[in-house]
Amino acid sequence: MRMNETEKELVEMVLSGRTEAFEPLVTPYRQPLLALAYRLTRNREEALEVAQEALLRAFRSLARYDVSRSFRNWLFQIAANEARDRFRKRTREKAALENAARHEPPYSAPEDGRARQEIRSEILQCLAVLSPREREVFVLRDLEELEIKETARALGCSSISVRVNLSSARRKLREAIRDNFPHLKEGR
Amino acid sequence: MTCRKAKKLMPLYAGDDLRPRLRAAVRAHIDACLSCRKELGEYRQALTRLKAAAKAESVPDWSEGEWRTLAARFQPENPAKRRPAFLARPRWAAASVLGAFLGLAALTMLFKDGNLRPRETPTAGEPSVVSLTLVSQETGLQVVWFLDKNFEWKGDEN
Repeated sequence: MRMNETEKELVEMVLSGRTEAFEPLVTPYRQPLLALAYRLTRNREEALEVAQEALLRAFRSLARYDVSRSFRNWLFQIAANEARDRFRKRTREKAALENAARHEPPYSAPEDGRARQEIRSEILQCLAVLSPREREVFVLRDLEELEIKETARALGCSSISVRVNLSSARRKLREAIRDNFPHLKEGR
Repeated sequence: MTCRKAKKLMPLYAGDDLRPRLRAAVRAHIDACLSCRKELGEYRQALTRLKAAAKAESVPDWSEGEWRTLAARFQPENPAKRRPAFLARPRWAAASVLGAFLGLAALTMLFKDGNLRPRETPTAGEPSVVSLTLVSQETGLQVVWFLDKNFEWKGDEN
């Protein structure tokens, strides 16, 4: 899916200094971008932050955008990178907190309570069985329907790596559906 | 193709993500193997259900306030007013260029107009060593060179 003429014109306008053209350029993607971020992060607030940061980064880097690419896929690439960066940062912080908590009396983490209260959709429960990389690949390839090549480009990895992770993701999901979500399997 | 190999490739075959040659090989096996055909059906069903669930899923959307707040941040920084390439370089590069420029300027000032003139050191008799002293009239910096008249280059001993 390549960039259409209207998008090209809007990009040109923004680059020529008419920044007000950026909003109509990204408005068609605001919801898909947030949905993607939500599927990657599994948290509404974090998804919102990821989508916001992705759009701001896109705005700042528009001059580097290659117009031969799909604008949507470019935005998705930025959002996937942002979600990954945040995941890594969170993992590091979590490890640091756990390390610190070893020396303190145990307490009930507020995040646990929140997590229990959150009603996750079944699709998100399924995605929880995947590793972060598998989830990225599955969401981009199967849910957002990017080509293998575009998925690889968006994630900054090879097509082979995408195929390996995709294969693993589909296998895990099939097993998860069979074992834990039979109603999804039966289509109810 | 064996069942084991076909089952390994099944997840990609189910989503039509195999290269043509492998796809044809898996298809040929599946046509002849009931067990693999059944497994393929499960993969395809799982994928279809997941995609349908994803489409039906209620995903969050921006509130108008959130969107307007973000859109307001698109305004201040104008990507069209890009800095020239040399300013976009890292700061250490700019600092290096500036340092080199200042160094060159200092050297030019130091050696300009023949401020440093060679001066032969007076010696008695037939000196075998001649020294040259370069003195900066502005800074007083002295550089002394000793030249041996009898020195003979014997080549690299190594």
